[in-house]
Amino acid sequence: MNFDPRTKLIMVFLISSAAVFIREITSLFFLLLMTMFLCRYFSISLWSSIRKLRRLWSFFFVLAFIQSMFTTGGEVLVRAGDFRILTTAGLYSGVSIILRMAIIIYSALIIANTPALDIIYGLIAMKLPYEIAFMVLLAMKFLPLFREEFVDSITAVQLAGVDIYRIPVKKKLSIYAYILTPSVIKALSRARYISLSMECRGFRAHPERTSYIRLRMGKGDYLGIFAAATAIFMIISFNF
Amino acid sequence: MSFYAVDSVTFSYTGRNDLFKAISFSLEENECIGIVGANGSGKTTLAKLMMGILKPHNGDIYLEGGNTQDISLSEIGSKVGYVFQNPDKQLFCPTVQEQMEFSSKYGGANCADRADYYLELFDLAKLKSSSTLELSRGEKQRLALASVMSRNVRFVIMDEPTTGLDILRKQQLENCLLSLREEGKGYMLISHESGFMSRHTDRVMGLKPEGVEYLR
Repeated sequence: MNFDPRTKLIMVFLISSAAVFIREITSLFFLLLMTMFLCRYFSISLWSSIRKLRRLWSFFFVLAFIQSMFTTGGEVLVRAGDFRILTTAGLYSGVSIILRMAIIIYSALIIANTPALDIIYGLIAMKLPYEIAFMVLLAMKFLPLFREEFVDSITAVQLAGVDIYRIPVKKKLSIYAYILTPSVIKALSRARYISLSMECRGFRAHPERTSYIRLRMGKGDYLGIFAAATAIFMIISFNF
Repeated sequence: MSFYAVDSVTFSYTGRNDLFKAISFSLEENECIGIVGANGSGKTTLAKLMMGILKPHNGDIYLEGGNTQDISLSEIGSKVGYVFQNPDKQLFCPTVQEQMEFSSKYGGANCADRADYYLELFDLAKLKSSSTLELSRGEKQRLALASVMSRNVRFVIMDEPTTGLDILRKQQLENCLLSLREEGKGYMLISHESGFMSRHTDRVMGLKPEGVEYLR
């Protein structure tokens, strides 16, 4: 069944808000399961998402490790002399971070896998001014644009005969500093051209916009939102 | 052993419709070859495959006998120069001078003297301290060509190098191609300009989904 984009936005809002407020690990775990189930329902490949975001996952694991080392309390699990390296409270805190981040990332994937224009029309239908909704679209486009520019620059650096992965760290940092500013400027410039081309097509010329797309919330949408809200309420209230 | 050997290469962006299927050809180091084909026939993709930017789905591309999938981009780049279709993708330094000096500063290439020569040749000497972002399309194209030519590579792949060049600058590029030939270096030219292509290539290949055909 194809849900209205507003339904997806509301579901993601409910899930990510719950991820921030829930403190218990088991509740977070069930919320993660629910989010993964929704991802599968929306035909998002969980495994390829994990592979694509592997660098981000490693960052979260490092973050969780540091957090668990600096959180004291509970029983000591690992000790080095007088120093408590890992405690039960630290481990609890580290696992919570991983679960919370996983929930937020998977819920964000639901939005990321929805066509950008659907999200915009969803936001406009939710009474967000259309200028702001389109600003959200441009903001969403900026990071991929920047990434693309940066990757292109790294490729060009290597094709200029420089092995960026084998040169000394000092030189490597110097190259990154070299290409960072032009990459940011190029990405900003591309975003500016997008906004210029939108204005050339009459964007903001009138207070209202007409659209061929008419969003309608059906019974399935209301049922979906009700089911998601009920599931989240049960996860929170059971407090496993 | 050929300098470049493309062996039964198949490639697809989508994983379903092949852009080209099992194409094979070989190039010598001093050979000047042209590639033509309709829009979307895969000319730029073929160049990217030969430079190692993209990996073939099937088949292999060999550069001096080594599979390009096992060679780093920098190693390929130190032997083969690549002029991107869009010069914006090629220029990553803040100023014209830094772009020209980048390879000698960081890659150990001996090209400082040649940098000045090619800056003069492409009328860029007066723009040395200009930002690469402030250049016009034609100036960017000339800088991309100058930065590749100055690196003293053994073979050059140029993807539509005449785009954005006026008559005078096209003539400068033609002189540059003639001097490459005189130095015994080869190049692969992708272009839609048949006159330019016929003047500066030994043979021309047409790229089609079912393979390549020699047009001249």
